[in-house]
Amino acid sequence: MAYPSSSVVYWFRRRFGISEVRREKLVLTMTRFREISSAVVHHRMGGIGVAILAFFVTMALVAPLLPLPNWDASLFPSFQDPSWAHPFGTDQNGRDILARVVWGSRVSLMVGFLASVIAGVLGTLVGLVAGFWTGWRDEVLMRINDILLSLPWLALLIVLAQILGGQLSLSVIILTIGLTSWNFTARVVRAQVLSVKERVFVERARASGASGMTILRKHIFPNVFPLVFANTILTVAVAILSESTLAFLGKVQVGTLSWGVILHEAEASSAIINGHWAWIVMPGLSLVTVILGFSLLGYALDEILNPKLRER
Amino acid sequence: MTALIEVDHLKTYFDTRSGTVRAVDDVSWTLEKGESLGLAGESGCGKTTTALSIIRLLPKNGRIVDGHIRYSGKDLATIKESELRRIRWKHIAIVFQGAMNALNPVKRVSWQIAEAIALHDNMSFDEAQGRVVELLELVGINPARKDEYPHEFSGGMRQRVMIAMALACRPKIIIADEPVTALDVMIQAQILELLTKLQKELDLSMILISHDLSVIAQTCNKVAIMYGGKIAEYGPAQEVFLDPQHPYTQGLLRSFPDIYGPRDLPPWIPGQPPNLLEPPDGCRFHERCPLAFAECLVREPPLYETRPGHLASCHLRAPSN
Amino acid sequence: MSAIQRVILRRLRNAVITIFGIITLNFFLINVMGNPLDLINRAPNISPTIRTDTCIRLGLCGPDGQQLDLSQRFVSYLKDFFTGNMGTSFYWKGTPVIDVILPALGWTLLLIGTSTVITILIGMVVGALSAQMRGRPFDIAATSFGLFFYGMPFFWLALIMQLSFTRPQFGLNWWPVFPSSQEYDFSIAVFSWTKVSNLLSALYHLILPATTLALGTVAGVALVMRNSLIDVMTEDYVVTARAKGLPSRLILRRHVLPNGLPPMVTLIALDMAFIFGGAYQVEYVFSYRGIGWVTITAINAFDFPVLQFVVVLGGIAVVVANFVADLILLKIDPRIKVA
Repeated sequence: MAYPSSSVVYWFRRRFGISEVRREKLVLTMTRFREISSAVVHHRMGGIGVAILAFFVTMALVAPLLPLPNWDASLFPSFQDPSWAHPFGTDQNGRDILARVVWGSRVSLMVGFLASVIAGVLGTLVGLVAGFWTGWRDEVLMRINDILLSLPWLALLIVLAQILGGQLSLSVIILTIGLTSWNFTARVVRAQVLSVKERVFVERARASGASGMTILRKHIFPNVFPLVFANTILTVAVAILSESTLAFLGKVQVGTLSWGVILHEAEASSAIINGHWAWIVMPGLSLVTVILGFSLLGYALDEILNPKLRER
Repeated sequence: MTALIEVDHLKTYFDTRSGTVRAVDDVSWTLEKGESLGLAGESGCGKTTTALSIIRLLPKNGRIVDGHIRYSGKDLATIKESELRRIRWKHIAIVFQGAMNALNPVKRVSWQIAEAIALHDNMSFDEAQGRVVELLELVGINPARKDEYPHEFSGGMRQRVMIAMALACRPKIIIADEPVTALDVMIQAQILELLTKLQKELDLSMILISHDLSVIAQTCNKVAIMYGGKIAEYGPAQEVFLDPQHPYTQGLLRSFPDIYGPRDLPPWIPGQPPNLLEPPDGCRFHERCPLAFAECLVREPPLYETRPGHLASCHLRAPSN
Repeated sequence: MSAIQRVILRRLRNAVITIFGIITLNFFLINVMGNPLDLINRAPNISPTIRTDTCIRLGLCGPDGQQLDLSQRFVSYLKDFFTGNMGTSFYWKGTPVIDVILPALGWTLLLIGTSTVITILIGMVVGALSAQMRGRPFDIAATSFGLFFYGMPFFWLALIMQLSFTRPQFGLNWWPVFPSSQEYDFSIAVFSWTKVSNLLSALYHLILPATTLALGTVAGVALVMRNSLIDVMTEDYVVTARAKGLPSRLILRRHVLPNGLPPMVTLIALDMAFIFGGAYQVEYVFSYRGIGWVTITAINAFDFPVLQFVVVLGGIAVVVANFVADLILLKIDPRIKVA
């Protein structure tokens, strides 16, 4: 491969560039990634899942560009039923609900993604430590895991919310959800690490003098990473659900807008008794559809990665 | 004398997303009473599919397209499923390869053997226990272990359990599909000895499937060498192995290292088995055959009889040559 | 001591440690929420005697009136927990905490019990049928429904159910209508159902919440059952069973199901915490006075005495459920020997 003539860049690449072997491995990983991605998209259900998620993410991103009325301004009469002017109706303050749903998606999705990143990283770390260095570290971590898994997470979250003042800011919410959702990932990672450890080639690597860190990096990590990735899809969905539940119970800072918040306001304004169905159905349907997208994606990945579930 | 089983121009195909796989494409052979027939060949040549077709144990996408399987006056390829179920195990039993997973892990071994007896011989599970003990002793397993679970046995012992289970209803024919492939050499010898002994004692007829020619040479009196879904050579085992008529068989035998010979890498057959989705025209083996000539690329060779009872599907063996 | 007994003992030890951990965690969380003493101190015009009295009654002061520190309070908390002396609620003035919690626990167990039974029955049947008729219309429909309901937030499902079935819809007067639990008198002792009218009334008010909870969980059960059975159906021993000449229903009953069940049990056990969380939401929306409703109300009202014990209960229930599931697994799967 020819390097550009600039000597600085050349020196930089020589020093920090990727060696041939690693580049090959990278290419292999990318090819495999591309293979799986294309398989997922072509899978009937996976394709639908990807389409759904793409739709919502795009909607969230381009929200400022859409011709919607201001989501926070009380411009219209309250409690309007759905009409051409207001496809989802208006809420108790006369705000257009469609606008609120579209803008609310930004928070709901963002919190979900960020929280699941935290949960994923934390879960992977814990799982790696527990699985790799078995013994008391493993036992302790697993007991903590058990405890957190068993507590009704909802109660835990609400209590945490109360501790921190009853009205949580977004960053706090992201942190709390992240800190309580890592359990499942940790369990899964730990199981995978344990099974990889059993495999002969790790023994061989040990025998050839490779240190613990190298084994971790070269053998265990590549086998664990795809699993974590597939698992993260589940975690994001759960995180989005958690945020919406917290918001529904009113624990989110006043002034934030997410789907859960809209539903909270609906319930507080007795929307059910008054029959304002769109107010309740539409934000919830968006939630359900997004989660469906993740489920379909997960289902497709499952079928693709697990040969037994395919047609025999 | 009519044979015990007569497979007549059997064709079994599989329907897959990429097309129709012609796994068994016009195969015929017979099995006499008391005989043991070996089905040999590379992986994917159709030997297991042939065996599974006999008792119609094919997966959902497999079907018998043509041909007959004559047994006891019936055509097993076309009889009703309910009738076939009565023949399964009671007349024709099968021992699978890798009996590691062929036994139900959550049921005791005695229960699994008794299940077959209870089903076909009209006994209750308890009544069948006596026979279970007999069978275990027959295959060399301590009957005291009859109530243990499969995972408590070693691989070789599990294979014995499978054999005991196969004999439970006193079948006339046993199909052994790669019975020793997954075992180590010492155990292989034991199991093969056991099979031969049982065959003599119980007057069984056996179809033994293996890719290992030495296993077949040791235990069978007739052999059918399969290639690409068809039969390449067929005849008495001794004759076929000592004087192979088909270039494929010759190649196979040549690739065996000779324990007394020079320490060189023996010649192997280059190339890959044919794609059964779109088999090549003419002789299936022609792309890898050192002796192929013009006709081989065009016309599929029928089975020519080179000596009484010894057939080979190769144009070189056509009578005019 | 046999191997099995050793395994059970080890699981029991883990369960106990977990429960202890839950209790400890709960205590420290609640107390970080705020020192109730501040509330008392802030209120003017309270004589010192009453102040000390309240302090003692709440377990915040020792018998000599001196404030106890956190560790001392923890010890006395543990003592109270196990002797059942849990103090008096703030919010439900004057009611002993234990009288608040126990009936609520009963109602919640009733809700979760009914819902779980329905879920398991329907979920397993649908899953099994789906696996057998794989790829056919029934399977596609069932799997689609399953995926749709799989991640559905319980509170929203509860809202929709409430919206749809508490009043007639579309102007149809034959639309099924069920009561929300607001009018129901939960003070009826949970199991005083010798009076049939009590029993019927209880069940009638249970329909909506239980159906909601069941709807939310049945999807997961059916999907896992389907995948588990499909896994099993591709195993070699199923082919052996066919080779033996067994008809399909016997194969299903004797070979497929017994091997497909253990993952189910594991799943339901793991899902217990999730189901409890769902129950809390359902109770809140329907005002069904179970543990969930009590917990949320108590948190909003900063009712420490109640909170000290109620959050733990959910966790303990889950640990117990998991332990029972482990025992069941040990019974039905002979392969499990080592923990």
